[in-house]
Amino acid sequence: MAAAERPAIDPADAFVMEAPALADWLIVMPLVIGFIFAALCLMTRKDTRRQPAIAITGLVLILLCVVGLFVHVLVNGTVVMAMGRWLPPFGIAFVADMLGATLALISGIVGLATGIYALREADNTERRYGFYPFLLMMLSGVICAFLTGDIFNLYVWFEVLLLGSFGLLILGSRRDQLDGATKYAFLNLVATTLFLIAVAYVYGLFGTLNMADIARKAAVMDEVGPRLTIAALFFFAFAMKAAAFPLNFWLPASYHTPRLAVGAIFAGLLTKVGVYALLRILLTIFPADRDDLAVAIAVVAAASMLLGAIGALAQTDMRRVLGYLVISGIGIMLAGLALGSATGLSGTAFYTAHSMVVMTALYLLVGIVGAAAGTFDLHRAGGLYATAPWLAVVALVLAFSVSGLPPFSGLWPKIFLVKASIDVGAWWLAAAILVSGFLTTIAIVRLFAFAFWRPAHPDMRSLSLAEVPVARLGLPVLAGLCGLTVIAGLYPEPFIQVSDRIAFELMNPAGYIDAVYAPMPAAAEGAVQ
Amino acid sequence: METAVAVLTGLYFAVSIYLMLSRHIIRILLGTVTLSTGANLTIFAMGRITREVPPIIPSGLYLPAEGAANALPQALVLTAIVIAFSLFAFLLVLVMRSYQELGTDDTYAMRDAEPEGEPLPPLGY
Amino acid sequence: MDLTFLAFFAPFIAAAFAPVLVRLLGHNAAWVLALVPALIFVHFAGFLPQVAEGGRVTGGVQWIPSFNVNFSWLIDGLSLTFALLISGIGTLIVLYAGGYMKGHPQQGRFLCFILMFMAAMQGLVLSDSFFMFFVFWELTSITSFLLIGFNHNAERSRRAAMQALVVTGGGGLILLAGLIFLWNMTGVSEFSLLLGTGDLVRESPFYLAALILVLGGAFTKSAQFPLHFWLPNAMEAPTPVSAYLHSATMVKAGVYLLMRLNPVLGDTIAWETILPLFGGATLLVGTFLAVRQTDLKLMLAYTTVASLGLLVMLTGFGTEKAIEGAVLYLVAHSLFKGALFMVAGNVDHEAGTRDVTKLGGLLAAMPITFGAAILSAFSMAGLPPFVGFLAKEEIYYGIAASDPWSVFITTVAIVGNALMLVIGFAVAVKPFLGPKVETPKSAHEAPLLMYAGPVLLAALSLAAALWSGLFHQFISSPMASAVAGAPLEITISIIPKPGIALTLSIVTIAIGAILYFGLARLRAAMAASLEAIGWGPDQGFDQFMRGLVRLSVVLTRTLQNGRMEFYMTATFVLLALWLFRTMFVAGEWPAVPAFPVLSIYEWVTVSIIAIGLIAVVRAKNRLTAIVSLGIQGFAVAILFMLMGAPDLSFTQFMVETLTVVILALAMTRLRLSPQDHRSAGQTVLDGTIAIACGVALTFILLQILQTPFDRTLTEFFNLYSYSLAQGRNIVNVILVDFRGVDTFGEIGVVMVAGLAILALLRIVPKRSLGSAPAPRVPAPEPVAVGKE
Repeated sequence: MAAAERPAIDPADAFVMEAPALADWLIVMPLVIGFIFAALCLMTRKDTRRQPAIAITGLVLILLCVVGLFVHVLVNGTVVMAMGRWLPPFGIAFVADMLGATLALISGIVGLATGIYALREADNTERRYGFYPFLLMMLSGVICAFLTGDIFNLYVWFEVLLLGSFGLLILGSRRDQLDGATKYAFLNLVATTLFLIAVAYVYGLFGTLNMADIARKAAVMDEVGPRLTIAALFFFAFAMKAAAFPLNFWLPASYHTPRLAVGAIFAGLLTKVGVYALLRILLTIFPADRDDLAVAIAVVAAASMLLGAIGALAQTDMRRVLGYLVISGIGIMLAGLALGSATGLSGTAFYTAHSMVVMTALYLLVGIVGAAAGTFDLHRAGGLYATAPWLAVVALVLAFSVSGLPPFSGLWPKIFLVKASIDVGAWWLAAAILVSGFLTTIAIVRLFAFAFWRPAHPDMRSLSLAEVPVARLGLPVLAGLCGLTVIAGLYPEPFIQVSDRIAFELMNPAGYIDAVYAPMPAAAEGAVQ
Repeated sequence: METAVAVLTGLYFAVSIYLMLSRHIIRILLGTVTLSTGANLTIFAMGRITREVPPIIPSGLYLPAEGAANALPQALVLTAIVIAFSLFAFLLVLVMRSYQELGTDDTYAMRDAEPEGEPLPPLGY
Repeated sequence: MDLTFLAFFAPFIAAAFAPVLVRLLGHNAAWVLALVPALIFVHFAGFLPQVAEGGRVTGGVQWIPSFNVNFSWLIDGLSLTFALLISGIGTLIVLYAGGYMKGHPQQGRFLCFILMFMAAMQGLVLSDSFFMFFVFWELTSITSFLLIGFNHNAERSRRAAMQALVVTGGGGLILLAGLIFLWNMTGVSEFSLLLGTGDLVRESPFYLAALILVLGGAFTKSAQFPLHFWLPNAMEAPTPVSAYLHSATMVKAGVYLLMRLNPVLGDTIAWETILPLFGGATLLVGTFLAVRQTDLKLMLAYTTVASLGLLVMLTGFGTEKAIEGAVLYLVAHSLFKGALFMVAGNVDHEAGTRDVTKLGGLLAAMPITFGAAILSAFSMAGLPPFVGFLAKEEIYYGIAASDPWSVFITTVAIVGNALMLVIGFAVAVKPFLGPKVETPKSAHEAPLLMYAGPVLLAALSLAAALWSGLFHQFISSPMASAVAGAPLEITISIIPKPGIALTLSIVTIAIGAILYFGLARLRAAMAASLEAIGWGPDQGFDQFMRGLVRLSVVLTRTLQNGRMEFYMTATFVLLALWLFRTMFVAGEWPAVPAFPVLSIYEWVTVSIIAIGLIAVVRAKNRLTAIVSLGIQGFAVAILFMLMGAPDLSFTQFMVETLTVVILALAMTRLRLSPQDHRSAGQTVLDGTIAIACGVALTFILLQILQTPFDRTLTEFFNLYSYSLAQGRNIVNVILVDFRGVDTFGEIGVVMVAGLAILALLRIVPKRSLGSAPAPRVPAPEPVAVGKE
């Protein structure tokens, strides 16, 4: 083998020969922009006035890229770009299918929304110590996680977003923050390390890291090695990242401790990366193993949605109510994964998008509510119906949206999931979805009744929105996010078309695999054998 | 050889998990160090193990020597080591700062984010 | 654009403009806003001739074609009558609200809510598609939540609003499941198509499930016992709401649903048992509780509960005449109850109290209101010549028979009707006649805006009976036909015909008259017996809510107890169980591996690692722990070297050195407690968990090692590393070229970690608050606070 002469090399066996279309570059632009603007913010970190403008520019550019990417995928189908032009599966390929592009799009929206909100929330010290670089890095990590087609690379993005989230979480170094961050950090480290171990196992079993390649091999290499156990380990690791019950401990321990803008972006993005990874691993890569794990997933889903809602009822701090609602939402997303049918997965995709927007908005809302009421304590907040009627409108929209009541976006995916459950006779899952919606309604309407309807506590003075700095930018941002949930509730057709397509693609991984291998000439496949 | 490394990874995981089950945050931190070493060894073993010959193409040749080690897991482990070290450094400072602010290294006493004995939520309307 | 389509949205649009209009025009905005429901009324009235001839109008636009859901409507006798009641009474209510809420600072908001409520209710009855129906159903719950909580500063209002939302919103979720069941059973999701599938549904094995779920929705919405309590509590809302909520609309949504589904779900033993039982119980409970009240609004509210019970009972009774009776009674009730609520509102508004015991002799001051009241009370009592009389005659024709079940139901109906007569007169007569009683405000007649509604409704009660032919032709017969699913013709008129029905009517009136004069004693008796029971579903609601919160607290604080040790333990216990369970289920166990053959160097290295690791665990003080950690780390570096990975070995060496140095530095500054406090039992438990996880992970690894390895990627890298990527160190080429993106991310990780560490070290919050206790050990030397 140790040839002294130069072996005959045809670059076509190793490279994607065609230059990628200009539009395909959109797939890496969020990464490039994120890193460049994070670096720019870092360089100007002492210029606390100009730095936010740079950061917002970066966030806007990222949003534009993901919008462009979304449209590109919508029109042209799955977009693949081989990094360094090395043929898949040898290099790292970025793959944007409908699921990845949609989640990237919503991440862009959530990122910009929280970035704008934070303009009035993060103070100068926090800016100096990297609020915006953390935000940008985390956002790029999240978007890359949605777009990468390589499983080890996915691990790397998980770490990028994890460290970005560490940074955001500890900014301020308050006692509860440090305590929450400790639990968050160690438990998440366990989850990512388990993920890394599972990646190693996959490599050992299939000899490859490209997700399409693994899927292709897994489909033909039936009954080889501990496949189901590996899939189960992936499920464990990602369920922990997604904060599904009973692996949700880190979330309620930490999400309420940082700034509300930080809580908002965490709620919008982090757990959803876990859900995304579950969908990708268990549907695109190991569909057969998903079938074997379906019952367990369904149990986890039902338990998460119920215990999340129950946890929300048990809280006195509004921020902590929201943490549990995130968990409840994760349960609903997992329901579709457990069902695995087109209707169910469409519901999951729609619900994931809905939850990203609405949970973000709820955190921002509670930020304004807390500032206006002077407290996050449900015992003491009050009087905002009189002082901030428009905020009440926003609160009602979001409250009913998160409960899955019409005419807001939470309704349709829930109907899909209930229908999908009843279709297969899983009435108990349908019941869990409905009961969790019922409990969520109680929890969130209590919050509304206390903070808005009830007169202000005698020792507290509730402020009007003009006196609350975060409201000036926060309210327009909230109005935008509310607009999304209202539109998706009233005219869900385009959203359902996208989620149906996501479901179709997830159920037919061949499309994903073919898209990745399209650049590879048939001859090259055998070239290295 | 592979079997020996496999057993070794098991030992690493057991030790790190045992350390992480401690109440003391420093031991948990040590646990994370061994946990990532265990993960790294796992990656390494998964590329199958050969002895001694590094994956380097000698000068003048175009291919590495026969029996050279698998290069890919080594690259992965290198990435993982650096990431793990960054995490470790962060966690260490986090632990230090928590200790300074909270005054304890016992996780039983670290109850600022989820305080003990909170009042019930409002039961009225 | 189709005007019907516009009619769905017009009230929403009006609602949006209501606050602005009120700001511009004051209470006169009501005149403008009332135009919207009035025009809708006119629009729907245009359908009357077509529907009277048995026609059925459907229409719609595409809404969610991907899910087969259209925005479609169904106008037949049933929905048309409802639509006319809703828009007609809605017009009067908007006007009434203009007068009643005059000068209220939030009048605009109120009109906005009430128009939204109207829109929701109207959409509900006109919907053809299940999901559209469900959307409007829940919208009525949401809007009534806002209306009931309108006086939000009072805890009672908030409680009532939440109660209504919990009961009816929860019922809606049950209904959703029921509708999906029906969809799955029949394959259609529109009422107009569903109506033809009755036999299919009744024979389905899921019939009972679907029935119970649908009833769960209908009974909660229509306040059937034992979930009736939210309705009287909803009296916390201003009077126009109560009038609207209780006459034409929300509470009848459940009855509407039952009537709509009667041709599909009806005609079975389950239907004809459950409905009369719950309906009858509600009728009796409602009237008994009404007798006990002294507040005009509450008296009316409880009779509304009773009326709903009567309607449900009749809908489920199963004879054609019973359905005809239900239809007539529904219309009659909407007219007289709407009028009486407005009368009660007028009395409250003008006299300042609603307590019937503190009212009397208002006739002189409020003659017009009294006129409306007494006419409506006659209708409510079922006396001729009012439409209530027609209804009661038809009801008795429908249910009177000699079998025990009919006798039982008839008895229930007689008792209920007699008591309703009592309440009707108590509301309409007691405040106006008799000696004048001093009231908080000196009463005089209500303004035009406020008496127009009751007078008109009372007049309609009379007109519908006098011109019963027209009334039956256009309203009641088409509606009854739609409910029965077959053409029915109602002929009853105000000319009494001797027979069983008339006899029963006379009995009812006689009993009612006797009870009316003993009302005070009856009330006392009811109050005493309720006191003796001492509990009701209303308190049950509080107990439910408190219990739910308490249970949640217990459950949540057990699972999320704030202790990281518990979190870690749970995580790893679950990991071990999950992995072993999966291996067991899938039978994925490794074969017993051959004993490893190692060189002496390898044995030594491996042993050092093992010893180092065990030393870390057993270390009694932190220095030993750190040194042992270092030893195993360096040994791993050597192991990498032995396995042909010099780059790794070097990196591992560097990293390990740094780790140990940093750890040692940090530890000397922190003086952490060196001991690991674990009891023996804890040690065994933790050890078991740790070993189980370690073994599970090793099993997976061993099993993979026993499969052949695919070296495609490695061969590729070997082949192209130099020839195309121009690098001799393949590991480096992979890092910077083949998998350069990983390295890019890795750089990001390092950068962010560095920044995060900086932030941790530099940001030191002020301790000036005094709440934060100082560390229990001497603080380390001050950390450099940012120079900036």
